Amino acid sequence: MPAGTPQTDDRGAWTEKVLPTNLSAVRKTEQEVLGRLHDLGYDEDQLFAVRLALEEALVNAMKHGNAFDPNRSVHMWYRASPERVEIRVSDEGSGFDPATVPDPTADENLERPCGRGIMLMRCYMDEVTFSPKGNEVSMVKHGHP
Amino acid sequence: MAKADDIVRVAEREGVKLVRVRSGAIREEQEVEALGQALLALTEEPGQRIVLSFLGVENLTSMVLGKLIQVHTRLAESGGEIRLADIHPQIYEVFRITHLDKLFKVYDHEREALASFLSDAER
Repeated sequence: MPAGTPQTDDRGAWTEKVLPTNLSAVRKTEQEVLGRLHDLGYDEDQLFAVRLALEEALVNAMKHGNAFDPNRSVHMWYRASPERVEIRVSDEGSGFDPATVPDPTADENLERPCGRGIMLMRCYMDEVTFSPKGNEVSMVKHGHP
Repeated sequence: MAKADDIVRVAEREGVKLVRVRSGAIREEQEVEALGQALLALTEEPGQRIVLSFLGVENLTSMVLGKLIQVHTRLAESGGEIRLADIHPQIYEVFRITHLDKLFKVYDHEREALASFLSDAER
């Protein structure tokens, strides 16, 4: 069991997914999560936000975390209610310090082709936290009040 | 492997390349790569002017933004430029949040982006 496996509490059980390090696995996972949120009544803006953040998290895990190593996996857990969706994505890489990622909106970094994924996750989700090692990200998006 | 022709359609009007994205979403790695290859191929002509229309595109990721920046940089080296049009409001918000609306000129419609290039050429 990966170290990041979340505990079940009064917010309900988590659904676990184990993805191969292959970008083609991202869309199928997105569809499952978004279908669940759609059924729970999340609106288009919320679905757009979760789709974008989830995709950035999964792509980061495969690209930067697992370095596209096909022998490594990405673990993902999620649980959703009308009030909130929680997503946790964990890779098998050595981790990183999010604080060292340059601000992509700074004028001197605008023309850098990389480095926007974390920023988009923070902008589109209500809570984004990284594990101390940096190889796991937890995200929360609030649904309806 | 997605081909460039599957991802974009390219036309030319008065020396300006008009590129329209065919797919509703550019998310798969192969689609992103094909889009990048199609655009970078157009940059081989020095000073190229490109209008990229996102009509019908409802999703993209930071990988696409990275490709657009590569194209922008390549074009800028030869005096060319890429201008964007027909961007869905949710996607435009991504450009605004990342401040890429400062790097790219964005127009409501393809024809306006084309007219802007032609107007610049008359000056």
